[in-house]
Amino acid sequence: MISSIRQITSMSRATLLSLPRRLAISLSMVGSIMLVVCVLCGFLAMARGFEITLQSAGSPEVAVILGGGTREETNSEIPAEVARTIMAMSEGISVVRDSRGTPLLSNEVIVPVEYRDHPDAAGEMLALRGMDPTGPDIRREVILSSGKYASPGTREIVVGAQLAATYPGFGIGEDVRLGPVVWTVSGHFSAQGSAFESELWGDIDAVRAAFNRVGEVQSLRLRLTEPSAIKQLAMAVDPLAGAQLKVLSEADLYASQSQGTSRLIQLFGWPIALLMAIGATAGALNTMMSSLSDRTAEIATARALGFNRLSAFVATWLEALLLSAVGVGLGLVLSWLTLNGWQTSTLGANNAQMSFRLVVNGDVMATAALVGIAIGAIGGALPAIAAARVPLTVALRARG
Amino acid sequence: MTISEKDIPFIALNGVSKTYRSGSERLPIFAGLDLSIGKGEFIAVMGPSGSGKSTLLNLLAGIDQADSGSIQIGGQRLDQMGEAARSAWRAQHMGIVFQFYNLLPMLTAAENVELPLLLKSISGRVRRERVSKVLDIVGLNGRGRQSPTKMSGGQQQRVGIARAIVADPTLLLCDEPTGDLDRKSADQVLAMLGFLNRELGKTIIMVTHDPEAAAQAGRTLHLDKGVFVEDEQVMA
Repeated sequence: MISSIRQITSMSRATLLSLPRRLAISLSMVGSIMLVVCVLCGFLAMARGFEITLQSAGSPEVAVILGGGTREETNSEIPAEVARTIMAMSEGISVVRDSRGTPLLSNEVIVPVEYRDHPDAAGEMLALRGMDPTGPDIRREVILSSGKYASPGTREIVVGAQLAATYPGFGIGEDVRLGPVVWTVSGHFSAQGSAFESELWGDIDAVRAAFNRVGEVQSLRLRLTEPSAIKQLAMAVDPLAGAQLKVLSEADLYASQSQGTSRLIQLFGWPIALLMAIGATAGALNTMMSSLSDRTAEIATARALGFNRLSAFVATWLEALLLSAVGVGLGLVLSWLTLNGWQTSTLGANNAQMSFRLVVNGDVMATAALVGIAIGAIGGALPAIAAARVPLTVALRARG
Repeated sequence: MTISEKDIPFIALNGVSKTYRSGSERLPIFAGLDLSIGKGEFIAVMGPSGSGKSTLLNLLAGIDQADSGSIQIGGQRLDQMGEAARSAWRAQHMGIVFQFYNLLPMLTAAENVELPLLLKSISGRVRRERVSKVLDIVGLNGRGRQSPTKMSGGQQQRVGIARAIVADPTLLLCDEPTGDLDRKSADQVLAMLGFLNRELGKTIIMVTHDPEAAAQAGRTLHLDKGVFVEDEQVMA
């Protein structure tokens, strides 16, 4: 056993010391694995960042009521009389009230609006949310960072921090054309990086009036005293079956939205990464076969001296694993430095741009590292087996 | 009449046959080869290219296997051992000197010499002592830390010899040990092999094309087309 460990150690050391002879091809293997890790980190960080942005917007203590049997706000419609009935029922439901005793309940509509930086620019679809004055109070993570919230009945909007950072035209006091109507920016808010930061908020009546949606309610939001009160709410609205109401927590709403897009990102990302990984595995195989060819005489000599097959196998495999580990390490560092926190945007669930930051966290790095190491392990296995089977007769005639 | 140790066969090949395949063609190398070598003999094996010298060495080293016949060395049937057992046997009883030295260039001379000792259960201190001792025997004391790539051919071959004897094997197989050396270096290497045979009692089998090298041996076997055509004994 001790002898076997010594053989493996000695053979591995000799193999690693001979690496400078194969520097160029070894670096190409490191580089290809690094690229795979970067690509993997890229789309996984995108999916993870998207999930985090949406999920952090959802609170389990906020109930969302949608109408028309849908789970999406843009397709939802709650008849005005049903909305009024629910508001009237709030006495019997565990809804949080503000200091004046007003229940924290908000009628809301969300309208995708076209925004252009300047007249010739391509239009971007942004989400304009109309809400009752209680709307911001329902969302505890929201902080008015500057200015003021929109006054009832006025064409004022408050702008989420991500939008304010992305588009230069959203300075406080500036007039902004959204679709056919001009709005004045009254303030900016932050929401701990969540999806709300990609929204524009205005007064519900002003929004409905501007977009011919008078009387329309797409969702009702209520801050509950505790998450379990959502069952009580669902039972209370159950008799209003004609409106096909769905009662769900805000956390569940955003989780289901994030899953869809996150899956879509992964659906496109994984095949690309796997194709690249297959290419990198072929590259690793080629590199290690080249390494084997370079070391054949040395392996055969050691085996002729009495070294066992296992030492030749382990030394070759270890080289592959080491090179892939270097590629993985470089790929992770590069991804973390360049991708982590990088802000981008995509079309969100409300058919509007949603900004989010890429997140290169432990999960993302572990998955990418695992794939990178697997490339080395698989690409190095065959050459390692071949190393263990090097014909010893080569040693006696090899020019060492 | 007394039987000396040299009269008892240390190595015995009986009816050894070996054929190589080249595509569909069969190339017979040996067909029933017999050989008997006593312990402590210094044998030179000569013959033209393709006569079977290398194959003989490979069979004796256990790195190739005969198709039939028996190969017995020191009372052990090499032909009946598995691959792993032959490896272990080589590590225990045999040293090999290669024509092109076959030193690992990334290791120092001492690390190269130490390789066979890594196969044995001995401490690092004892290993270092033995490496130092054999480097002294081959005249390279103090050169252990030098890279073989910075040594002359003669010096590299002496490192190769030190590696072959460091584990104190009973049998040394030398494949053209002077084939890549100038005359002066070749003479030094041959003198060393002679010393190892005479003073340390090593049994040596040396394949060579060089008649001067063969002259150092006590017995010269001439191989031609897989058959020993001459067995020349030098009287001491």
